[in-house]
Amino acid sequence: MKARKILVVDDDKIVLESCRRILEAEGYRVFLVESAREAIDLLEEQYIDLMLMDVKMPQQDGVYILDKIREKWSLDIWPELPVLVMSGYPTPATIRELKESGARDFISKPFTPDELLDAITTILKRRENESAGN
Amino acid sequence: MFYSIRARLIFSFLGVSLLVGIVSLFMGGQLLYKAVLNEATRRISLDLNAAREIYESESTNIRTALDIASLDADLLASLEQRRTELLINKLRLVAQKVELDFAGIVLQNGSTLCRIGPVPVPVGPENADNPIASWVLKKGEGVAGTAILRSEFLLQENPELASRAQMKIRPTPRAAPSEEDEISSGMALIAGFPLYDGTELIGVLYGGVLLNRSNKIVDKVRETVFQNEKYEGMSIGTATIFYRDLRIATNVLTPERERALGTRVSQEVRNRVLIEGERWSNRAFVVSDWYITAYEPIVDIAGERVGILYVGVLEKKYIDMRRRLLNVFVLITIAGMVVAIGLGFFVTNKLMKPVRRLISASSEVSEGNLDPDIGMVSKNEIGILQNNFIQMLSSLRRRDERQRAESEQRLLQSEKQAGIGRLAAGVAHEINNPLTGVLTFTHMLLKRNDLNEEVRSDLETIARETARVRKIVKGLLDFSRQTKLDMELSDINKLTRAAIGLVENQAIVKGITLSFNPGEDIPLRTVDRNQLQSVVLNMLLNAFDATEPGGTVTVSTILSMSASKKEEKGIEIVISDTGHGIQPEHLDKLFDPFFTTKEVGEGTGLGLAVSYGIVARHGGNIRVRSEPEKGSTFTIWMPITEEEDR
Repeated sequence: MKARKILVVDDDKIVLESCRRILEAEGYRVFLVESAREAIDLLEEQYIDLMLMDVKMPQQDGVYILDKIREKWSLDIWPELPVLVMSGYPTPATIRELKESGARDFISKPFTPDELLDAITTILKRRENESAGN
Repeated sequence: MFYSIRARLIFSFLGVSLLVGIVSLFMGGQLLYKAVLNEATRRISLDLNAAREIYESESTNIRTALDIASLDADLLASLEQRRTELLINKLRLVAQKVELDFAGIVLQNGSTLCRIGPVPVPVGPENADNPIASWVLKKGEGVAGTAILRSEFLLQENPELASRAQMKIRPTPRAAPSEEDEISSGMALIAGFPLYDGTELIGVLYGGVLLNRSNKIVDKVRETVFQNEKYEGMSIGTATIFYRDLRIATNVLTPERERALGTRVSQEVRNRVLIEGERWSNRAFVVSDWYITAYEPIVDIAGERVGILYVGVLEKKYIDMRRRLLNVFVLITIAGMVVAIGLGFFVTNKLMKPVRRLISASSEVSEGNLDPDIGMVSKNEIGILQNNFIQMLSSLRRRDERQRAESEQRLLQSEKQAGIGRLAAGVAHEINNPLTGVLTFTHMLLKRNDLNEEVRSDLETIARETARVRKIVKGLLDFSRQTKLDMELSDINKLTRAAIGLVENQAIVKGITLSFNPGEDIPLRTVDRNQLQSVVLNMLLNAFDATEPGGTVTVSTILSMSASKKEEKGIEIVISDTGHGIQPEHLDKLFDPFFTTKEVGEGTGLGLAVSYGIVARHGGNIRVRSEPEKGSTFTIWMPITEEEDR
């Protein structure tokens, strides 16, 4: 089976590195970027199965990326990109806002490897079911 | 409407003086006057007797003079000899002495021998009936008294007398109706005595005074009985002789200041006196003024009522007396009222001064000055009020200080919380990322199979403690987050019961008796259901931690007043336990973040701080009462607005 591609967006290197170690250990293919701009650039040339993204970043925050994605992929060339949002400072309001912008789920930092993997497999499985349903 | 006490008091005083004034006016004006009037009426009755005496004495004079003359030997001798000249001289002498208007001698055959009037008779019939002579000749004895004389007789005696007797009847209000418009007869005091020659009747001596237009008797009455007393130019006392009901001799004046001859008495008096023959004494309207009067009939020699004798005094004198009396009473009343007003001002000033001081003091208090000047403490009921006021002030001051301390405490608390909140938020964000790394790599390491037991155990410790750090940071974030409340109208009892439901099993496991006393009539309130429930839950778990098996935790809901703001209604959720209590020195740190008395690793020290923040955002507060070894009571208080309290 072809390895799933996961894009991780975070401005903190240790978070990126942590995610890489966890996900690669499980056989995912991992792309790491440090900003929203890079993420969008990458998304234009690379099919991604799931995006793991920090909400608060110095330049553009998560909501910006989500809006941008929605804008670009509005023609539905690819099936919907599932987004898992992570944050160390979640408020019900931001969570609501992110979900409205298209985020699939939410995970709060810090997390253990198992928590992250659970959240990712849940989303991917659900997506597979949806595709199969189609 | 606002009536000041001064106005009330003055009105009361005025009322009393007015009442006294009115009573005295009534007493003086009516009762006293009536007594005076009665006295005057009684006196006028006596005056009438005096007038009668004068009238009678006039009659007696005439009788005596003629009686003596009739026995005069010279006169009889002259009569014997028919010496007319001598007789006339003699008669004139007598007439002059007693002021007779007429006198004469009639012979036994009825013919007149001589008279003092003009001879011969100028006009009219020569032999008119002489009623006096006829009476004497018929009865053979003397007669004296009042008699009515026809004008023929008067004309014969002296034409002047006839014209004096003739009188026009003047229309008089209230008099009896009359067909005549003139009288010609005269009323006179007369006397007649038989003249004897030995035992033989040879003639009659007669004479008299015509009362018509004669002022002698009435003026004498005025002089002697009333002493000519005058009032405003008018004689107070008046007297009148009536022929029938007609004034023929009077000193009652008409408005034109003439003697009111020819006017008549009122019909009422005429009926009572002339017809019924009674005395009459009362106030009466005489000619043109009110008089206090007395009337009695005049009876002629034949015993018939032919006239009326009257005396009267002007009522005006008494009316004016009453008016003066009333004026005096009015003056006294006004003086009384002035005194009442003055007294009212004086008394209210004296009485109201401390009260006004209290009023201004109380308004000062309402403006926030709790130490106003209330002046000297009075030695009466107002003093009690003042003392109570002073006591109230001191307890107000105490309460004020307590409230100030409380609110300072609260302010400090919230500042502390806000500062810590900001710090915590920053720290949490910064810590979370490295913590992610630590957690990840620890767990990755733990997944390796080549670890010896010592390393694995150390790694597990790192993982466990990192999880604890994560828990603390999460608590910090919960505490710092100024989450908007998700408000909805909720039943506090239901909410509390739900929270209790979540921990019932824990209570059973721990062997703690958990009971709930829901308050009645607790109104619905808008709250963030989840957050408030977590507050209650937190309190319950704390209570369980503090309580040994066998203890009790009691939850109640109460509709109550705020401890600090008396006016404010609120809902209380009270959680009491019989646990080990809180040390007094811990009480003021209880709501500080990270303050905990639990074992390291047991609590974050954020539960109560977070709870306090939530309740504070609901506009309420949390109060603690605790006694070491006896237990603690946490009271969650939230205000309810008027809108909710329905």
